[in-house]
Amino acid sequence: MSIEEQYRTRAKELLAGGAVKMVIGYGKGTTGERRRPIFITSPDEVERLVLDEACITNLSGYLVSEGLLSDEKRVAVFLRPEGVRAVNILAAESQLDSDQLVIFGFDVVGNEIKALKGIHVEEFADVIESLKESAPGVAKELLLEKIESMSPQERFSYWQGEFAKCIKCYACRQACPMCYCRRCIVDSNQPQWVNTSSHSLGNFEWNIVRAFHLSGRCVECGNCDRACPVNIPLRLINHRMAEEVLGTFDHFAGTSKTQEPVLASFKKDDSETFIL
Amino acid sequence: MTKILFSDKLDNCVERWKKAGFSVIGPVQRNNISTYAAVERAAELDLGLILTERSIKELFFPQSEPMLQYTIKKDSIETKDFLPPSGQRIIFGARPCDASGMAIDDPLFGWDYKDEYWFQRRNESVIVTIACTQSDDFCMCTSLKLAPDSTKGSDILLRPLENKRGWLVEEITDRGRDAFKAIADIVQESADTAAPLAVVEKKFDLDRSVAWLQNPENFESRFWKEISMRCIGCASCTFLCPTCHCFDIQDEGDTYSGMRRKNWDSCSFALFTMHTSGHNPRSTQSARWRQRIMHKFNYFPGKFSVNSCSGCGRCSRQCPVDMGITETLQEISKLSQ
Amino acid sequence: MSEPFEPKIIAFVCTYCTYAGADLAGTSRLKYAPNVRIIRLPCTGRISPMFILKALQKGADGVLISGCHPGDCHFTHGNYHARRRWMVFRALLEFIGIPPERVKYSWISAAEGVKFAEFINKVTEDIRKLGPFEQYTQLIEETEAAASL
Repeated sequence: MSIEEQYRTRAKELLAGGAVKMVIGYGKGTTGERRRPIFITSPDEVERLVLDEACITNLSGYLVSEGLLSDEKRVAVFLRPEGVRAVNILAAESQLDSDQLVIFGFDVVGNEIKALKGIHVEEFADVIESLKESAPGVAKELLLEKIESMSPQERFSYWQGEFAKCIKCYACRQACPMCYCRRCIVDSNQPQWVNTSSHSLGNFEWNIVRAFHLSGRCVECGNCDRACPVNIPLRLINHRMAEEVLGTFDHFAGTSKTQEPVLASFKKDDSETFIL
Repeated sequence: MTKILFSDKLDNCVERWKKAGFSVIGPVQRNNISTYAAVERAAELDLGLILTERSIKELFFPQSEPMLQYTIKKDSIETKDFLPPSGQRIIFGARPCDASGMAIDDPLFGWDYKDEYWFQRRNESVIVTIACTQSDDFCMCTSLKLAPDSTKGSDILLRPLENKRGWLVEEITDRGRDAFKAIADIVQESADTAAPLAVVEKKFDLDRSVAWLQNPENFESRFWKEISMRCIGCASCTFLCPTCHCFDIQDEGDTYSGMRRKNWDSCSFALFTMHTSGHNPRSTQSARWRQRIMHKFNYFPGKFSVNSCSGCGRCSRQCPVDMGITETLQEISKLSQ
Repeated sequence: MSEPFEPKIIAFVCTYCTYAGADLAGTSRLKYAPNVRIIRLPCTGRISPMFILKALQKGADGVLISGCHPGDCHFTHGNYHARRRWMVFRALLEFIGIPPERVKYSWISAAEGVKFAEFINKVTEDIRKLGPFEQYTQLIEETEAAASL
């Protein structure tokens, strides 16, 4: 039985038995290469679930949608390792109770689907730990190396060119599981911290603020990067932040549901190299 | 024998138009995005795209439009009005769906208040549309009773030649005719034939869908929650749509000076209908999605006799979660059978 | 004759240490550059990165942030949180291309009036040499300009 079929069978059992009220997974999209998030509530619908290497979107963001988990019933959700990390962070930040989740864990190695054993977030600790260990060794993409070798003025010009494209659609924010604030900083107008206009200044501020609010919380699922309709390479900024918190504080976001958020905690001997 | 513009003469045309006082705008690839921008030479244009990622709407209704600047002095307040930059423009290489989108919005911007920003730009623009010989899975102009060679909103329609050496020229409006006077000797008579147009299959039954939407019993249907479950509430679809036109007036500044701007807004945003009382009549994403569809295919046509959609497909193409108008209307077509 | 460039510098300081240190510099009649505008906050822990961005947005050529030494925070650990925030924000600004020389951080206690004056003088001089933050000024000017198309 393929992994897709195994998971379909499990989904059917869980729904038929009433163990879960909903399965959040992937379905066929408009075109052959696309997959879309689907929400199944009846055992007859499980044939709509698909699982292959095109299933990339991080679905954990749906877990904090308004009211979904408030009836205390359980929900099954297909998650890749970064999705499980996202759930850990959401649980650590008290946004959901991870005991309400049944995780259908999977990963894509090469072009093959691998099932990940476990139902509860705690069972994925090893997988996440090995991700943390291999993180520093992952090769940097060329564009990132190119930016890092630029002078500050060149870097500023590069980002100015990219942020000039931003139309303030907030697809990056909406697609991100970590951006769950009811009233985002851009929605505040007393004072107006970040302009809604898409001039470069406002765009710089928006993208800088979002990257900062995600520091130490981003799991690099790529949802934001894929969602951006004007192809701004957001993954580079968030990656740089993830790299920074790992190197400086040994913090890998989402290792457990009791992990302390990196900017809400401190060590008395945190290194300081630049403070005069 | 028909009028033909050969593509190797396009650079001459750009030169002539610039000499005649037009700026030339067309589809370009810049910084990893395809959009419309002003060009100096024909080589900068990318006329091989099926459709630009960003729409022509931005040339008439920019994301952020400065309206007036204020400075508060000790005994007075000074204001300085901003109008769009003035100057004739040739938009070369629009697509029929984009051009028709602008025509769809004309009655809206001229409805109860004539929007001078929109109309100044409209009156100073000549839209030269190129008919489509290619389409992708997301194009749906034919479902909206338009076509890959619709002339709605265009001043000139160019039909690509079969031999790919240029375009057949069809003059649609006086404005187009006048603009092409500047290149009258470059356009030649020739027997070249036009290439076959793209075949765009109808994706849904528009009339049946609209009838379903107009039926008040369907307003509270469970369909709305089911179809919009995966919508994340971003503004990708509304911002890229050539016909979406909601905006918000924002004052950016402080106690001493600032700028009043007209910025794009989106009915998909959670706070779009938030009242100062704290009540939000569209507090769920399904209510917001329902409103989007109802507005485009029920309320807007009710007022202006035309659907607020030109079938360009950008909403579906760009949606981060593979949603868009097409699927909703397809499902509604099925429901109303 | 063109006027020499005088940098505009905004300093966000905590009440109980750096601000008191600045006070001491004043009562000791120590001379320091007048380019800095001091904004007093209860604690460096209150400083949001938005303040730094807003200062740059309003035309600052440089931003200073200063508070109590680690271990001496009036509120016990506000500055520890601030320190972490600064480390991350600094990396972010650097990646975006905002030169780290324009945003400076320091620990200055209530007794360090001399250090305060020297710090202000040094930073003012450094930023004067760097010149105005032209790349950011360009962004600001764009917000006051007419639409381009």
